[in-house]
Amino acid sequence: MTETDFVLTQVGHEYRAGVTALAAIDLSIGCGQHVAVVGANGSGKSTLLKMLDGLVFPTAGAILAFGAPLTEEALEDPTFRRDFRSRVGFVFQEADVQLFCSSVEDELAFGPLQLGLPDDEVRVRVGDVAEHLRIEKLLDRPPYSLSGGEKKRVAIASVITMQPHVLLLDEPTNALDPRSQVWLLDVLEDWKLEGRTVVMATHDLSAAAEAADRLVVLSEDHTVVADGTPDEVLAQHELLLAVNLIHEHTHRHASMAHGHAHAHGPGTHPDQAHGHEHD
Amino acid sequence: MSASSPCRHTDLAPAARRGGGGGRSLARKTADSVARAVKDVLQNEEIAARPGLLQRLDPRVKLLTLILFAVTVSLVHSVWLLTALIGSTMILAALSLVGVGSFARKVWLSGGLLALLVSLPSALSWFTPGPVVVSIGPLSLTAPGLMGVATLVTRVVAAAGFALLVIWTMRWPDLLRALSALRMPDVVVATLAMTQKQILTLLRTVEQIHLARESRTLSLGSARENRDWVTERMAFVVRKSMKTADDVYDAMLSRGFTGAMPSLVRLHLATGDWAWAAASLAVCAAVIAADRVVGP
Repeated sequence: MTETDFVLTQVGHEYRAGVTALAAIDLSIGCGQHVAVVGANGSGKSTLLKMLDGLVFPTAGAILAFGAPLTEEALEDPTFRRDFRSRVGFVFQEADVQLFCSSVEDELAFGPLQLGLPDDEVRVRVGDVAEHLRIEKLLDRPPYSLSGGEKKRVAIASVITMQPHVLLLDEPTNALDPRSQVWLLDVLEDWKLEGRTVVMATHDLSAAAEAADRLVVLSEDHTVVADGTPDEVLAQHELLLAVNLIHEHTHRHASMAHGHAHAHGPGTHPDQAHGHEHD
Repeated sequence: MSASSPCRHTDLAPAARRGGGGGRSLARKTADSVARAVKDVLQNEEIAARPGLLQRLDPRVKLLTLILFAVTVSLVHSVWLLTALIGSTMILAALSLVGVGSFARKVWLSGGLLALLVSLPSALSWFTPGPVVVSIGPLSLTAPGLMGVATLVTRVVAAAGFALLVIWTMRWPDLLRALSALRMPDVVVATLAMTQKQILTLLRTVEQIHLARESRTLSLGSARENRDWVTERMAFVVRKSMKTADDVYDAMLSRGFTGAMPSLVRLHLATGDWAWAAASLAVCAAVIAADRVVGP
């Protein structure tokens, strides 16, 4: 029995000789933690998530998942694979990639049926999740006919029906309108209350700060350069500037022009809001 | 506003009349075709959801009986019986709340016209000797030749009609479920499911590529430039589709894919399905028997 879901020791990954995606990553993710991996585009966030899901494997170092080595060979064992897949769910950045069944209902049932659960139980899970995520009316529709926001909901629902202990989310707020973002944050809050682990990769600092209780910052050199609470990490403006997560921004208030660090993203973090004394 | 302001511009020259340098670009034509293809797929979904006769049938029964009709069509030689079968597809289309006009247009234009063009040369006296019915210069069409053409055209139109009824009155998920229930291998059903989605996703990509180009294009360019550009973009779409295929497979593995494509939907046969199946079987048997009597 372990209280740590994942332990990464000196993990590195090269896509091909000379093209590094991740380098010397030391990281442990505790049970029930909500971790946001933040970094600029190309810093290796998605690769890290794929590694945690056993889709990409380290070319250096090692990963332990729930106390056992997570390797390509281990996942070839049906018992290990079933156990691992039932514990870890991955929501891909592009919902289109994740929706491959012919109807939304089949999409939601796909994971649980693959795990060998009985039809009746799967039906109950599908109904519950569809009701909870307010997608009951979509069940009979083919995924390609849905809007972007609906696809994202269905993609998340298709993983939640597997009731994984760990939820991996790649850029979850991408392409979501403000209402859907609030909905997603509510879903993540529910997961926190249930004691499930969440690891999300994002460059949306406001969403990361709101949804996570720990931020891990990846640099453009593909290494971890900061790891702490959102308050601790977001206070390091120089570091965030260096890793290309925020930039200097100049704007005007009445007759006064001034500059400050500024992050872009679908939401606005409270730290970025500011007041001024004017003449 | 300063003199150098970008808002101080001259008025646009009036658009040239058509024929004076106008005309649709290859990019626009391609984007329009792609948009039409996507619209067709979505329109089929709408037709399949109507409360018509064929839409109410169990997908397996519908698929099997319409295949039975298509096989019957291929066995029948009588033009009159084939014409009657074409009439039955029109009646079925009407009872299934499919627009009969658009149904007939689609069947005759996509099936009938093509069959006519392909088979008409076979009616020439050089290929099919017999009494000449029509002569145009050195070309003579014979009675047996024209009868052969009529048989082929009516056969193609009838078969295309039954096939189109299946496609239009059955939702894609139901068709896949029917194939799966009829013991089609999982890998084939999964491939079909993903293929359609992949095609739609790529169609949308292609449409956006062409529209993006058109929005930045000042002149139509030469035909050669357009062909080069289309070829290069096709290569891009192929690369993108390969990458997407890898990602989709990863997504399937992530959710525990074991090679099977199970579904929660359990199909049940109702009395109406049995009645339809029995009636279809009887009609097909009667048509084949009548063909033996009537002959070509």
